[in-house]
Amino acid sequence: MIENYLIHILILIGIYIILAVSLNIALGYTGLLNLGHIAFFGIGAYTSAILTREGIPFILALIISCIIAGCFGFLLVWITKRLKGDYLALATLGFSFLIYSLMLNLSSITNGPLGISGISRPNIFGYFLKSNFEFLLFVIFIAIISCMIMYAIIKSPFGRLLHATRDDELGLRVLGKNTIKIKYKAMIISSLFAGLAGSLFAHYNGYIDPTSFMLNSIIFIFTIVIVGGIASFKGSIIATFILFIIPELLRFFAIPSHVLGPTRQIIYALILIGILLFKPKGLFGRIDLE
Amino acid sequence: MALIQIIVNSLIIGSLYALVACGFSLIYSTNKFMHFAHGISVVIASYLFYLSLNTLKINFIISILLVLILTGLFGIFMYKVFYGPLQKRKSSNIVLLIASVGILILFENMIMLVFGTTVKTINSDLTKSIEFSSFIITPLQIIIIVTSLILLLLLYLLMKKTKIGRNMRAVSDNKELASIIGIDYKKVSYYSFFIGSLLAGIAGIFIALEQTLEPTIGTNLIVKGFTGSIIGGITSVPGSILGSYILGIAENFGIWYLSSGYKDAIAFTLLFLFLLFKPHGILGINKGIKK
Repeated sequence: MIENYLIHILILIGIYIILAVSLNIALGYTGLLNLGHIAFFGIGAYTSAILTREGIPFILALIISCIIAGCFGFLLVWITKRLKGDYLALATLGFSFLIYSLMLNLSSITNGPLGISGISRPNIFGYFLKSNFEFLLFVIFIAIISCMIMYAIIKSPFGRLLHATRDDELGLRVLGKNTIKIKYKAMIISSLFAGLAGSLFAHYNGYIDPTSFMLNSIIFIFTIVIVGGIASFKGSIIATFILFIIPELLRFFAIPSHVLGPTRQIIYALILIGILLFKPKGLFGRIDLE
Repeated sequence: MALIQIIVNSLIIGSLYALVACGFSLIYSTNKFMHFAHGISVVIASYLFYLSLNTLKINFIISILLVLILTGLFGIFMYKVFYGPLQKRKSSNIVLLIASVGILILFENMIMLVFGTTVKTINSDLTKSIEFSSFIITPLQIIIIVTSLILLLLLYLLMKKTKIGRNMRAVSDNKELASIIGIDYKKVSYYSFFIGSLLAGIAGIFIALEQTLEPTIGTNLIVKGFTGSIIGGITSVPGSILGSYILGIAENFGIWYLSSGYKDAIAFTLLFLFLLFKPHGILGINKGIKK
């Protein structure tokens, strides 16, 4: 009983680590204020769910979801490349609302507000990940590979360019670097991994609907990244664990489930506002959010 | 549907958006950050109105006055508790924006805890429709359009003719210069939060009467409010009012040609188009946006 529960939480933590670290690449390392990250997660989830429904094998669906999410990442930078600060934030937020309303209204593909249910468990070259424990091992494997790739990227010379784009875009342009191109690459990497996390989420949950990809979830992943610290790799990973575990403690108090949902959101919102007020650099961050 | 009915519907929804948008824009122009949590002021007002009218059975007019004052004070409360300390820390606009989304989620969920998620309605005699030859309207909708126009005119006069308004415009133009000539910009911030939230409160009361009450309507309204502001120019209060009516018209014509599900998608597409090609809006000025 308790093992099953623990496995469930660990699977979600694995998925959200990929999501949070990928957001940190855009938000923390490159300084792209992307309030639309959750949309890539949703795009990945929906693409994978729809493709496997149509009979496409899981692995192929997973790869296509990453690519589609990456394409939307490209599109978002293309639309917003001239915007900065508040305006970029609002445009990306608008982007996530737009995707949300498409999920809600393109009923013939997405099944509208009812969402898609009965999403199959991953089938990897004929091997069916039936139990949650097998799924957990798969998620851990994917999460470690993803984190290694993202870590390698931010430690590479290209990673240093990302830092420089955030800290002094003009200076970098003076040195002859095309910062727009750097932003494209960063956002594509970021959205690709968000799409990957989305696909895993859809196949683990077996059910997705548009409400999983709205404002509440945006605040949740932002809270993870800000609590962990802007541009801190280990911060995002540790914060994912912390933020998943804190609301789970509520379960010891036998709170009815209709109270639990809002209480969890209130806790996240309070943590977010509290950290912005009292420790804006987060647990491991070195730089301020600007 | 007849053309005239579409225009009437656009005016009704445009008035509601304008009430939200002008408060948002007023707060933005004096404080220079996006008060996304403005949407929750509307929700708080509509629930307070429900509480006062339906549960406590307080007289209609007294309920309205009570709710408006409380919502205005709620605006001041948000500034005092959250934004003021953040500004004192010299937090960037982005931090304030993210905090404001957090505030929205915080109060939305608090309302869910207190009132539950079930949809609530207020029964009123004002929603019996009157049929004209080419369109249908309810007395409440006439009140919405007329009151909004009067209030927006009053806001314009307040900004142009009174001392508070002059101080607000001075701070919005150049905060440092304004403080040099002795304008207390902290006070101006309080005033703008009070007036802005009060206007949101009026929108909240109208929505409580006209539609149903749900804790989550705040997000949708503030998104429409800022879309209206962006279309018209966020730094200009008249601009944001104009933008809101344009948004109302675009939505209602869109519904007519497409289906009602696409209402929100139309709004976001407009938002994108303006952010891309005319980020300062129709009446907005460049000053204060570019860094």
